[in-house]
Amino acid sequence: MASDEEDFVFHGTPIEREEEIVSRKKKAVAGASGNLRTLPAWKQEVTDEEGRRRFHGAFTGGYSAGYYNTVGSKDGWAPQSFTSSRKNRAGARKQSISDFLDEDEKADMEGQSLSASSQFDTFGFTAAEYSRKQVEKEQHERPSAIPGPVPDELIAPVSESIGVKLLLKMGWRRGHSIKDVRASSDARREARKAFLAFSTDENTKETSDSMVSETEVETSLDPQFSEDIKISESIPVYVLNPKQDLHGLGYDPFKHAPEFREKKRSRLSANKEAGFRKPLSMKESLFGPKSGKTAPGFGIGALEELDVEDEDVYGGYDFDQTYVIEDEQPAKPSNDNRLRLTSKEHDVLPGFGAAKNSDYSMERFNPPTIPKDFVARHKFAGPLEAESKPTLSAPPDVPPPADNNLKLLIEGFATFVSRCGKLYEDLSREKNQSNQLFDFLRGGNGHEYYARRLWEEQQKRSDQSKLTLDVKPSSSVQKMTAEERGSLLGEKPLQRSLKETDTSASSGGSFQFPTNLSDTFTKSASTQEAADAVKPFKDDPAKQERFEQFLKEKYKGGLRSTDFNRVNSMSESARAQERLDFEAAAEAIEKGKAYKEVRRATERPLDFLAGGLQFTSGGTEQIKDTGVVDMKSSTTYPKREEFQWRPSPLLCKRFDLPDPFMGKLPPAPRARNKMDSLIFLPDTVKAASAHQVSESQEHKKETSIDEPEVEVEVENVERPVDLYKAIFSDDSEDDEDHVMNGKIQEGQEKKNEAAASTLNRLIAGDFLESLGKELGFEVPSDVPYQEGTKPMEEESKSRSKPEGSSDKRPDRAGFKQKVEEKTSSLTLGSEEEKSRKQKEKSPRKRSGGNDLSSSESSGDERSKKRSSKKDRYRNNDSESDSSSDYHSRDKQGSRSRRKRRESSREKRSSHKKHSKHHRSKKSSSSKLVYSSDEDRKESKREKRRRRD
Amino acid sequence: MSATAELPTKEAHVLKGHEGAVLAARFNGDGNYALTCGKDRTIRLWNPHRGILIKTYKSHGREVRDVHVTSDNAKFCSCGGDRQVYYWDVSTGRVIRKFRGHDGEVNAVKFNDSSSVVVSAGFDRSLRVWDCRSHSVEPVQIIDTFLDTVMSVVLTKTEIIGGSVDGTVRTFDMRIGREMSDNLGQPVSCISISNDGNCVLAGCLDSTLRLLDRTTGELLQVYRGHISKSFKTDCCLTNSDAHVIGGSEDGLVFFWDLVDAKVVSKFRAHDLVVTSVSYHPKEDCMLTSSVDGTIRVWKK
Repeated sequence: MASDEEDFVFHGTPIEREEEIVSRKKKAVAGASGNLRTLPAWKQEVTDEEGRRRFHGAFTGGYSAGYYNTVGSKDGWAPQSFTSSRKNRAGARKQSISDFLDEDEKADMEGQSLSASSQFDTFGFTAAEYSRKQVEKEQHERPSAIPGPVPDELIAPVSESIGVKLLLKMGWRRGHSIKDVRASSDARREARKAFLAFSTDENTKETSDSMVSETEVETSLDPQFSEDIKISESIPVYVLNPKQDLHGLGYDPFKHAPEFREKKRSRLSANKEAGFRKPLSMKESLFGPKSGKTAPGFGIGALEELDVEDEDVYGGYDFDQTYVIEDEQPAKPSNDNRLRLTSKEHDVLPGFGAAKNSDYSMERFNPPTIPKDFVARHKFAGPLEAESKPTLSAPPDVPPPADNNLKLLIEGFATFVSRCGKLYEDLSREKNQSNQLFDFLRGGNGHEYYARRLWEEQQKRSDQSKLTLDVKPSSSVQKMTAEERGSLLGEKPLQRSLKETDTSASSGGSFQFPTNLSDTFTKSASTQEAADAVKPFKDDPAKQERFEQFLKEKYKGGLRSTDFNRVNSMSESARAQERLDFEAAAEAIEKGKAYKEVRRATERPLDFLAGGLQFTSGGTEQIKDTGVVDMKSSTTYPKREEFQWRPSPLLCKRFDLPDPFMGKLPPAPRARNKMDSLIFLPDTVKAASAHQVSESQEHKKETSIDEPEVEVEVENVERPVDLYKAIFSDDSEDDEDHVMNGKIQEGQEKKNEAAASTLNRLIAGDFLESLGKELGFEVPSDVPYQEGTKPMEEESKSRSKPEGSSDKRPDRAGFKQKVEEKTSSLTLGSEEEKSRKQKEKSPRKRSGGNDLSSSESSGDERSKKRSSKKDRYRNNDSESDSSSDYHSRDKQGSRSRRKRRESSREKRSSHKKHSKHHRSKKSSSSKLVYSSDEDRKESKREKRRRRD
Repeated sequence: MSATAELPTKEAHVLKGHEGAVLAARFNGDGNYALTCGKDRTIRLWNPHRGILIKTYKSHGREVRDVHVTSDNAKFCSCGGDRQVYYWDVSTGRVIRKFRGHDGEVNAVKFNDSSSVVVSAGFDRSLRVWDCRSHSVEPVQIIDTFLDTVMSVVLTKTEIIGGSVDGTVRTFDMRIGREMSDNLGQPVSCISISNDGNCVLAGCLDSTLRLLDRTTGELLQVYRGHISKSFKTDCCLTNSDAHVIGGSEDGLVFFWDLVDAKVVSKFRAHDLVVTSVSYHPKEDCMLTSSVDGTIRVWKK
């Protein structure tokens, strides 16, 4: 081959081998289209725009740079000549980023910055920018006199913008203002004003009007000046405002409050006018339409918006005296005086002054002369004596009628008449026209005896009233009266006041420590007070005392055997009569309406007598009744209620107090009502949660009442069993239950069995139910399940309506009997009570398990809608209050708890937006009020979850 | 006449500085100093006996509604429209901690006896207890049984008492874990406790002050004559518990006899609503603050 080549002679330039070029180009194209990317890293090549390799191996030249990977230029590398920076320092070269960039990189950078072409540079900004850059560049080259960047004003755009061109076409000439002539006078006026402000020292008595006129004069006087202005209209006039204050240079105290500038100026001029101060109408200018609402002087932050809470509720105060105090102008003392002055004579009308001496003189009258024999104490005739004077002549003493009943009746009646007056006799005579028993009023059988008794009673009464009148001058309760003092000193009380305080004190004490048993039956102090205020047996102190005793016994409960020991002298029948009397009176007092009730009280025993003598045992039944009455009557304010409240352990620690709930589990839901806890919380529940509830009132109450076993079991069926609890329940807890509660003796196996069966039923039932809901069908549920849910419904209702609990009792009792038949199947009360709590701890679980359709994953809207619908249902139910519609009710039974919670949550969330959720709010409004602590916690938790 | 002579009815000083309404004026524990706060978002420390402004504390973002000083005078707390409770250092004027959590304006704050916690009463129907000892900014406890805005709070050694617009005065007893709710039927704007600790005075918005027995909850006395219908006007008792003091919306200050509820004295203290009345813990000296931007010191 080599010999061959030597033989040939070549002419011309050889044609480049095609394949080389083609392959190179191909590579470049492939690289551009990104095909090379697919190659492994070590196969990829970096090429320049011509497809040449950028990088070579270390031995083949490394970085492709310079002239064919060799030197800076074709001529080869030349060292930079040394230039000393000693002489020309200013010319010291600064390095910039462009020094380190290749041409292509520079091209890249320039390509990125967009700029308007000079032709469309309307306002000349780009041109100005460009020219500034030029100037800077020049500055680099030669040092200028002004160091730093050149001020913008000095640089004019070099090229004409399209805007200028347009304007020129429209007839505008250079050097003229674009504004019309009238508008241009503004600038002039500005200049004038500034000029005048400067010269106020010279011309002090100037008003703004004269200012204007003077400027006119000035302009007319100085035509050359005005000509100047006309010519250079477009050039702003700078008038120097000399510095007269002590502020820092460039500081403008009125920068954001130009209103004050006016004020200050006028104040300055006013000071020169012999200190005359005219009322300034600064308020309008400063506190415009917006600030009528907000408190003057205090805006809110820029980032905050004006709320309702920013309204100035105290509006109406004129703050024109409190202006912003400037640094160099301390508040004047005269200012303060003025304020005080206005405060002193605030009722003087503006424009009017108080007269120094008035013609009107008050006529003075001497006080009336008091007759010598006047005693400054009013003698009260006895309240009854005013009506019926005791007959002076005593009726003849007549033996009582043979009929013992009649005798009692007459005696009782006479007593009441003597107490209440003749009017009562007339009334009852009218009332009992046809009644045979009251013949004695109309002169029939026993009339004489009645007359005699009446006289005796009145006699007794008048004596008594005289006595009390002497002893007790005024019936002021607050002040210490003579007999109180006497009783304190150990004297024998004539009145019953000592007893009174005794009883109230005892009741108060038991109220304060409601753990003792009697508390259940204790009345609130207010009614006790009422009882004291009304003294139904004022006339007969002994009797009144007995009545006191009776009340005491009654409210304390317990046996009443000892109390009548002292009155053994009384006959059996008299005692019975009195007892009836007392009871009626007590009842009447409780009802609180004073005089009417006394009358009713007097009628009551008569009614009893008419039906034959009855002796009520005065046991719990009776007292419960009165308790209900009490609750109704105590709606008067102030009303005291007590709840359990659990302070957090840390709070107790911070207050240096022992935690009353130390080592106890979270508190049980608050019992809203005494009756609630009394009747509807079963023993088992109580016992199960005994470790949670402290020695609380309710608990004591529970144990104090002997509820029959059956009823307890009824309560056990109240709520559907919590599956999770039933399945995963801890044995130790169950043991605890056994220990705590003797009533659940059924074995663990049985529980589990029952739980399993309920589980199946619940899942099936719930699924069916939800399916039915979706399709709009009515799905009947299993009977025991249905029954089981009812009491809960009942309870929730009773919670929502604590007041009406007494009304509903018969209904409930009937219902209980009904349920008794079903009790044997489900007896998981305590278990379930506990599990309910657990349920509330894990709402997510519950919703997932019990209610498939409305789990949290399903949209909020839907569940909300449904709950509101249900609420409507429930509302109807509670209104109808009949046991007939259990069918529809049991559908909601399983969820009613959750619903209640949801509805309360809705209520809370929509608390501020009243317009929303009208329906649900209406139905749940009463519930919210009494919703338990747990409900609230629950709702909060729900909210939080939503937020997440 | 002798009764009025011992009442602080003579104006000793006028404290000026607040721009706009002063919402509360409080003596410190020994009565030598006073803290006031108002619409201008500042809290000011005064020597009311000499009429000198000592210090101004600024940090609140909105109006400051109440302030209370610890018993050792080292710290104080304040609250207001910015929904936060501030815990301040008196001498440096720095905010030590801010307690956030109320969902609405905070109406009242109080320290407990040992100054270890702050209790705040808010528009969000809750009382919140904040811990000053630890670094936690979470409330120690939230009491949310109120049905409406809580306007006022008072602490005893063992109880927290709150007065609310729902008409109740609720006492939370920490010893027995019990809440006692006394429903007065009228919105309660201010409560204060008698010096013997047996009674609570509740200022209601039907222009009535009601005195309640704390143990039984019964109404002992009713004080009328002033105007209190729409603003929070304070009420308090004198040191001897002999008189009840109440501010009125027409700028008057009333003194009633505690027992027979007679108006013993009334005088014009301010032009406008008297927002706050504070009585010196030992002497017969009184502070009143008003919407007119002044605080007045009254002595006998």
